[in-house]
Amino acid sequence: MSTRIDVHHVTRVEGHGNIVVGIANGKLEECRFDVVETPRFFEAMLRGRPYQEASHITSRICGICATGHATTSLRACEKALGILPSDQTVLLRKLSFHGEILDSHVLHVYMLVAPDFLGVGSVIPLASSHPEVVLRALRMKKLAGDLCAAVSGRHTHPIAMTVGGFTHFPKPGELESLRKRLEDCRADVDATIELCASLPWPQFERDTEYVSLTRPDEYAFIDGEIVTSDGTRLPIEDYRQVTNEYLVQHSSAKFTRHQRESLMVGALARFNNNHAQLHPRAKAAAVALGLTPKVTNTFLNTAAQAVEIVHCVEDAIQVIDQLLERGITPEEPVPPTKMGGEGVGACEVPRGILIHHYWIGEDGKLTGANCIIPTNQNIANLEGDMRTLVPQILHKPAEKIRLDLEMLVRAYDPCISCSVHVAKLERP
Amino acid sequence: MIFFAPSQEASTTSLPGSQKNTLVIGIGNPLQGDDGVGVRVAEQLANESLPPGVQVQELGTPGWGLVNALEGWQRIILIDAVQMGAEPGAWRRLDGDQVSLINNPSSLSLHEPGLAESLALARALNLLPEELVLYAIEPGHIGPVEQLTPAVADALPALVKQILEDIWKET
Repeated sequence: MSTRIDVHHVTRVEGHGNIVVGIANGKLEECRFDVVETPRFFEAMLRGRPYQEASHITSRICGICATGHATTSLRACEKALGILPSDQTVLLRKLSFHGEILDSHVLHVYMLVAPDFLGVGSVIPLASSHPEVVLRALRMKKLAGDLCAAVSGRHTHPIAMTVGGFTHFPKPGELESLRKRLEDCRADVDATIELCASLPWPQFERDTEYVSLTRPDEYAFIDGEIVTSDGTRLPIEDYRQVTNEYLVQHSSAKFTRHQRESLMVGALARFNNNHAQLHPRAKAAAVALGLTPKVTNTFLNTAAQAVEIVHCVEDAIQVIDQLLERGITPEEPVPPTKMGGEGVGACEVPRGILIHHYWIGEDGKLTGANCIIPTNQNIANLEGDMRTLVPQILHKPAEKIRLDLEMLVRAYDPCISCSVHVAKLERP
Repeated sequence: MIFFAPSQEASTTSLPGSQKNTLVIGIGNPLQGDDGVGVRVAEQLANESLPPGVQVQELGTPGWGLVNALEGWQRIILIDAVQMGAEPGAWRRLDGDQVSLINNPSSLSLHEPGLAESLALARALNLLPEELVLYAIEPGHIGPVEQLTPAVADALPALVKQILEDIWKET
């Protein structure tokens, strides 16, 4: 008897990917996640462009983590040009970043994952059966978008963030109003944790190497060092030692591995590596969700995102307090101290570690760029998870196997369009 | 998101005049040829004289954000490119239940829901305004150019005139 699961374009993920699983006589014969999007050539587009344009170009890699790409791009330029941003810039970037993480995680938890558990095909029937759940998600997303817009000029594709600083500054009244809304949002945040605690997360364990940024002073989202759960610690400039991109035939996204056959990045990796630095309310949420590091159930990546929702709301309040206390100064961006050089920027965007590596010539134009996207780093791990999961669920009907696999893919919150670049797709 | 009119909070009370409190929303990506026709029309409307209580916004590709934008208005007028199988530049005024005839079968990603999905979500949440109008324009070419195709561009003056009549219509 043979079963073939062929999910041509998994829904409720960003971009186009296919699950291909072949089972014959109770044995797994084929197990792949095909990335079938066309390469997008962003790195090639950057060559020859002035460094000031890089963040605006690369922000377009993603409509979800545009602030993440922009911030990583700015950090790469600043390192190449010897620019040290001001404390105010660091705080404003952090605030905008929290808004984006919040927006993306709320989208994933509520719109993309919850329908699987609540037995509906999408968020639209969910709105009829559980309107309060969807209205809560929309409220939180609106707040997150307004936070990004107040700091960086608009919800997506920030226009006020520039190399060395900002070109627009939020008014104290705007920050006070956002602070109040963040405080009011705590009830929604608590309800999010309650919802996640009530969901029947699939039982599944597969230990892997969890890779994230880490910082001595805070739960890392911007800058820091690369750390892995297997004990590697590296400056971000040595990212290639961890990412080791390689090509496979069935995917237009590159694969990565470090010490094991695969590695995982994202909220679960951050939680496993940096749990001690979460805000106390986020730690309490982790307890409520039964999460104790190291968590090796990939499905709980979504639960780790819920924990980060708590952290980002609380830390955003603290950052606003710091900004209000010191006062907002409309300051000029810090200029370059040298023209030309090489720089690596790294941030933890919603789906994991993102790296931009730029080479800038003496004329201020980029001569080369390398962007390493989180979803790429996870695809080999996703296939490893699929190979582990399928033999455990072979007794289930094909439709259930299919759903379990789709849920596994969604657990990674993959952003497939972002991940396709440079690699060549060659089919036999 | 770009606002073409001074920011003004929506309110559910009727203003002195007797036009309904109205938000006119242009949808689409102006870098994708005729897909951006809704935004082009919104740009033109924003330069016209409008009654108090009427605001024009370009929302681009708002995704689920459209649902938030609908809240608090008595009347919403949407303008978007819709493939209806008509000649490029042909347009229709859809209202009431007609608006739910549009769908977006090619949409696979809930990261970027289209107009149909966002309106379906708003409907399920009872967030639709008391009056919802969609001006649907048949696109000619959708692809990475900034210009509208001539047939669509030629249709704009009559379309703008009709929408203005709609806006000024007393209730």
